[in-house]
Amino acid sequence: MKPSALSPRNKEGMSELSRHLVKAAVKAGAMHADALAVADTGNSISVRNGCVESVEREDGCGIGLRAFVKTANGLAFASASSSNVSQAGLAALAEQVVSMARISEPDPDAVPPVGADHPDAAAIASWQKRHPEREAGWTLADARQGALACEETARSFSPEITNSEGADAAFGTTHVAYASSDGFAADYAKSSASLSVSVIAGTGEGMQRDYAWHRALHVSGLRDAEDLAREAASRAVSRLGSKAMQSGKATVLFEPRTATSLLGHLIGAINGRAVLQKRTFLAESSGQNIFPDFVSIHDDPDHADGMANRLFDGEGTRCARRTIVDAGQLTGFMTDRYAAGRLKTRATGHARRGLTGDTSIGPSNLIWQAGSLDQQAIIESISHGLLVTELIGFGVNGVTGDYSRGAGGFLIENGKIVRPVQGITIAGNLKDMFAGIAHVGSDMTWFGSSAVPSIAIEGMTVAGE
Amino acid sequence: MPSQISENASNALPVAPETLHDMLNRMLPPGADDGDLYIEQSSSESLSLEEGRVKHISASTHKGLGARVIKGEAAGHAYTDRFEQASLMEAAMAARAIASSGGKQDPVAIHDSRPAPLLYQASNPALQVPLADRKILLERLDALARSIDPRVKQVFASVSSSFSDIHIIRMDGAHIHDARPLVRLNISVVVEENGKRETGGAGGGGRFSLSRMLDGDEAERLVREAVRLAVLNLDAKAAPAGSMPVVLGPGWPGILLHEAIGHGLEGDFNRKGTSVFSEKMGKRVAARGITVVDDGSIAERRGSLTVDDEGTQSQRTVLIEDGILTGYLLDRQNARLMGMTPTGNGRRESYAHPVLPRMTNTFMMAGSDAPDDILTSLKRGIYAVNFGGGQVDITSGKFVFTTSEAYYVENGKIQYPVKGATLIGSGHEVLQKVSMIGNDLQLDPGVGTCGKGGQSVPVGVGLPTIRIDELTVGGTQT
Repeated sequence: MKPSALSPRNKEGMSELSRHLVKAAVKAGAMHADALAVADTGNSISVRNGCVESVEREDGCGIGLRAFVKTANGLAFASASSSNVSQAGLAALAEQVVSMARISEPDPDAVPPVGADHPDAAAIASWQKRHPEREAGWTLADARQGALACEETARSFSPEITNSEGADAAFGTTHVAYASSDGFAADYAKSSASLSVSVIAGTGEGMQRDYAWHRALHVSGLRDAEDLAREAASRAVSRLGSKAMQSGKATVLFEPRTATSLLGHLIGAINGRAVLQKRTFLAESSGQNIFPDFVSIHDDPDHADGMANRLFDGEGTRCARRTIVDAGQLTGFMTDRYAAGRLKTRATGHARRGLTGDTSIGPSNLIWQAGSLDQQAIIESISHGLLVTELIGFGVNGVTGDYSRGAGGFLIENGKIVRPVQGITIAGNLKDMFAGIAHVGSDMTWFGSSAVPSIAIEGMTVAGE
Repeated sequence: MPSQISENASNALPVAPETLHDMLNRMLPPGADDGDLYIEQSSSESLSLEEGRVKHISASTHKGLGARVIKGEAAGHAYTDRFEQASLMEAAMAARAIASSGGKQDPVAIHDSRPAPLLYQASNPALQVPLADRKILLERLDALARSIDPRVKQVFASVSSSFSDIHIIRMDGAHIHDARPLVRLNISVVVEENGKRETGGAGGGGRFSLSRMLDGDEAERLVREAVRLAVLNLDAKAAPAGSMPVVLGPGWPGILLHEAIGHGLEGDFNRKGTSVFSEKMGKRVAARGITVVDDGSIAERRGSLTVDDEGTQSQRTVLIEDGILTGYLLDRQNARLMGMTPTGNGRRESYAHPVLPRMTNTFMMAGSDAPDDILTSLKRGIYAVNFGGGQVDITSGKFVFTTSEAYYVENGKIQYPVKGATLIGSGHEVLQKVSMIGNDLQLDPGVGTCGKGGQSVPVGVGLPTIRIDELTVGGTQT
């Protein structure tokens, strides 16, 4: 294969690839098509016990195509991805997708990439002004220094820190271009830098591990390495001596780090495609008060601190800020154009598109509006409960809302943290858990693209001793 | 001789042998302990049915090269999917960045390695059954599910296949080739009765042909199983909360072993002393009579590999023998650093990922108890025969796995099905509480995927019926 003149790994290169791919699809017989081209370049470094443990470098590029063909019974489509970005590779991919689309079953509700509510040129220009694209601002040498300093601080935090899983620093840039056969084409670049550290306190069967991580669009937005290190180390030390607690009902206080998972369960349950197929316990809950009235949650694709900012979604639909839960009430479902068509609503700009596959549905930046009490005040309000700092397992049934997960954290008795806890589960049903929220903390914290405060839920079941 | 590569490999190398030779010799610094080039060409196809229609067919084709240099505890890894000389050399030199000093290793001559016995056919499953036939089959399975029970409201069925062609060229000059097929059929249904909905699923697969997956009765059996589970769960009551005896059924409940001990015995965690099992080699970690193995050399299993991703031949590794910890799962780097022999467990998701020690097929050998006797022994507890996923904290040893088919049992008799509940225990303790081991070892149907360090690889598990005297059941009934 000859090197392709088409594929410089930047915006221009990806833009050209996506447009050529759409043209190739039309030439191969597609009635409509849309294409994605993605280039990832990045570096990461891991250090452990003061030495470099691994250095990694990525250099990847992929193209993805969705093609629709007309049949007697409506439009049928297929999709495929490839890493072969040569002219011949593009043509072969187009032929492959069109031939697969001819085998797919037509769907009378299919929504081809035509006539989406695209952002106009003015919107694009204004966006680019407000969100200037830039590199993550790290070099490998700086990243190594950051990781080494972070790990060193964590290891020397306390004599009870006995071992280290190391610190990782990574940075990179992704260039994405989208083009559709209705003539819309747009691209963007997104950089990120991240730092994480994980250390172990104690020995033998009493060992406890904990971690801290942070990710930002630019290194200047990263949390201080030593601050991160102290968090990881103090968390690990505070877990020493963990043991189970008594089975029974308890108030469960999710700190922001674990409360992000509750947000994930909500988003999964209001996915328009899941609603269509009745695979969610919230299928009939649009417009209902599923939370207490002090809960409001927003999806904001244009936020100063957002890691998931976007002007348009995976189908080129313009994105806009949207309140998902308004004073306890579920305002509607998240949709792509297909789900919106079937649910007879407007597309909310939540189409997500990978290189392969149909569109799926996903959020941009999620913001759970902070409450008034700080975490300490919430703890003081709890007579018997559990502060959850770690969750493990996948015991959530999205169809019924039944919830049962492994947990670790701290026992709360009479408004005070008493001791660390592990080896227990917390269980309930998400519908009851959402309705049973007693407090929302003032400590809203960003984890990646979600900002979440502490959340206290009454009436959950703890299984332990 | 570099020129031998293209002649002897069953699939042509996408890079000129001279280039590979040049890369290997330039990227390895003096004193390097190991290093390799990993070239992967993979393709996959998937058809999915929902709402009665195969609405979507998807495919992917990827090709790339990963370069690795290993020195002591450090590893450099770089990958590219550009195959022109400059990009390849750039990747090789980036992998070398791990080494601080310049200079060159002695020249390496590439030679074909003696092949390991093949555990699966080197042919692409996607070429065996036409897409149109796969589509018709899914439509038939949809109709079957709806005909079995009128409460079936939604059917999701998918059939997917992949084929990876891999060349590993190691620092010692060995060139190893493997070609790995993988097929998978998945069914899930949503049932509804009086406004109450439940879901059930079943799947199967392995490293064999699509025709074998689709032609026999297996596909229909999976449909019946998915419907049975969904309908069963309509009547499920709240599971109990607390510590109690648990009987695990045979097969997929072997996920217990994967989470409770498998991860904790991976070489990297033990070399670093971060696993709760780090100091336990030669010590008792399970009851007498318990033997647990990891075996990547079983023909056509989902977790099997002719050779691992470093070219080491797969083997049967005894992890626990009669209750005593006897083995770790090792890749080349961790084996060398621990003064042990690689066990064929060095795996990577793709050329874009580094190698980690991983499980293959992990299972417990059969005992002598009759499964019925084990269930009958349960005074009050849970009988769990099917599970969803699990997870473990290897440092504290705490692990979880979540039931998808389980029953409340009293006086040895099944009382009623219970809702999905997470079971939690300690990896270093749970197998010491096993008091009965069935004679009915089964391997799972070929559905396992293991995640570690952001990488997914196919794995298998297996278990005979066992009784655990005490495990915490995460229900809501107190």
